[in-house]
Amino acid sequence: MAKEPLVKLVNVSKSFGRVYALEDVNLEFYPGEIVSLVGDNGAGKSTLTKIIAGTEKPDSGSEIYFGGELVKSWNAAKARDRGIETVHQNRALSEQQSIYANVFLGREITNKLGFVKRKEEIAQTETLMRKIGYTSKVWTPSSSVNKLSGGERQGVAISRAILFQSQLVMLDEPTTAMALSEAGEVMEFIRNLKREGKSVIFISHNPWDAHAVADRFVIMDRGKVVFDGPKGDMTADQFVSHLHNFAKK
Amino acid sequence: MTQKVKSKFQLPENLRPVIGASIFFVVMLVSFIASSPVVFLDVGIYTAIFLSLPLFTIVGLGLVFITVSGEIDLSFPSIIALSGLSFALTLEHTHLNFALAVLAALATGAACGALNGWLVSKLGLSSLITTLGMNFALIGLTNILNKGEVRTFTEMDGTLYRRLIVGAWGPIPAQMFWSLGIAVIMGLIFHRHKFGIHIHVAGDNPEAGRAMGINIERTKTLAFIIVGLCSATTAIIAIFLNSTYFATMGEGYLLPTLAAVFVGGTAVTGGRGTIGGLVIGAATVVFIQTGVVAAGLDGYWTSLGFGLVIVLSLLGHRRFSGRLTK
Repeated sequence: MAKEPLVKLVNVSKSFGRVYALEDVNLEFYPGEIVSLVGDNGAGKSTLTKIIAGTEKPDSGSEIYFGGELVKSWNAAKARDRGIETVHQNRALSEQQSIYANVFLGREITNKLGFVKRKEEIAQTETLMRKIGYTSKVWTPSSSVNKLSGGERQGVAISRAILFQSQLVMLDEPTTAMALSEAGEVMEFIRNLKREGKSVIFISHNPWDAHAVADRFVIMDRGKVVFDGPKGDMTADQFVSHLHNFAKK
Repeated sequence: MTQKVKSKFQLPENLRPVIGASIFFVVMLVSFIASSPVVFLDVGIYTAIFLSLPLFTIVGLGLVFITVSGEIDLSFPSIIALSGLSFALTLEHTHLNFALAVLAALATGAACGALNGWLVSKLGLSSLITTLGMNFALIGLTNILNKGEVRTFTEMDGTLYRRLIVGAWGPIPAQMFWSLGIAVIMGLIFHRHKFGIHIHVAGDNPEAGRAMGINIERTKTLAFIIVGLCSATTAIIAIFLNSTYFATMGEGYLLPTLAAVFVGGTAVTGGRGTIGGLVIGAATVVFIQTGVVAAGLDGYWTSLGFGLVIVLSLLGHRRFSGRLTK
């Protein structure tokens, strides 16, 4: 791909004591592509997304480039300012807060004094939830998140990820513990993101889901990238057997 | 997604603790009136309550912020004593320069809060134990600096500042208006400002806040500083009220103020609370303190009253607000 990568990781490592969760990871993520990031438990997928999201600090020597520019002291605020949004595995929702407060968490619409413009936030939340197909007669944007089902909570996390003109959306196991219909909606949502020109990093334990939406596969094993290549003509079965080959090594 | 529609009317969630605490307060008030109508239908008892209610309300406001942020501050009685000493010493050394004395007291309160915040947020110490320790340390420092003196400011009587801050505005002491004004401003910040939202998130799910780029440590430190500022404000009003400073002035605030916070529906686990609830909670607590004695009962009944009120109000909140206090 000749395009300039949106995000480029150079020699990114993360160790916890003497254990490496990530070791010299070099990866590039391009605009408008869906990358399925797969690997066994403990492969380092979640650590990698946390580092890109800025919620985990990489070891010194790691370099993160955004739009070709090296960004120093990468953190969550810098990542979000650059249009990197994450749907975390645990959804990262404040359950006692309203839906709209969660959607705008850390990005509140305020007046000059910092007071929240609630009507505006509620209206935008309503539009968003309708756009991605999460509507209800039971709750409104002002309802607490703890009133929602698992799928609906995921809807809130996803709404938040697409609200702010995001350029790269990372979804960490977004379909875990979801009903089939809800999981189907999430897959369709990922395809929509691509249609809108956004980049997606999709983490899943389910190789068929990972294959269905991907343009490129990145396979990780014990903190290292062991495969990085385009989907091309690879069928789902070929992809699964490819994964099994890595698992056996 | 098809869902059943619940037709039953439901109160907005943040109003439930306020309404719960209000019902409790009204029941208590009616009981007092029924037991001693002569005392409790007279304006005098309410003027007496309005004298001390603002002191508990203001310091309680700070405690709501820190409790909802998921921490606790038990050092506020000593912050009251130390910032009160700052106020008194500055008054003495500047021949009653009130503005400078107020600034000195607020700076002392803020510094104590910042120290608590640093110990808890940056060093990761338990707020319960840290502030318990700080409560001892700060009262020790206060006593060392004060050397056991009682500092009187009779020359303060009749000054414009005193009339403005604790003078009588009709049957209502001025500090009632000040405390309500502070409560309104802090209520707006707590419920409508983005900082207030971050306080709630810090107590409910700090990891979610961090993932969204919120500086949770700074938010909690600011909440500790707010406790310090509120404690200093209480100290200033108390000294204006009595025209006297004594190092034990913070004693007697700890348990009643905490009671006011929890009677007002603030969740001990953090993440949820209301400023309106705190105001009602403080009124309930001060009413018991004053009302028990006014009703002709022995002062020892106050403790029994507190205990019953706290336990009954928690039960009430549990029933009224579902999982509020779990």
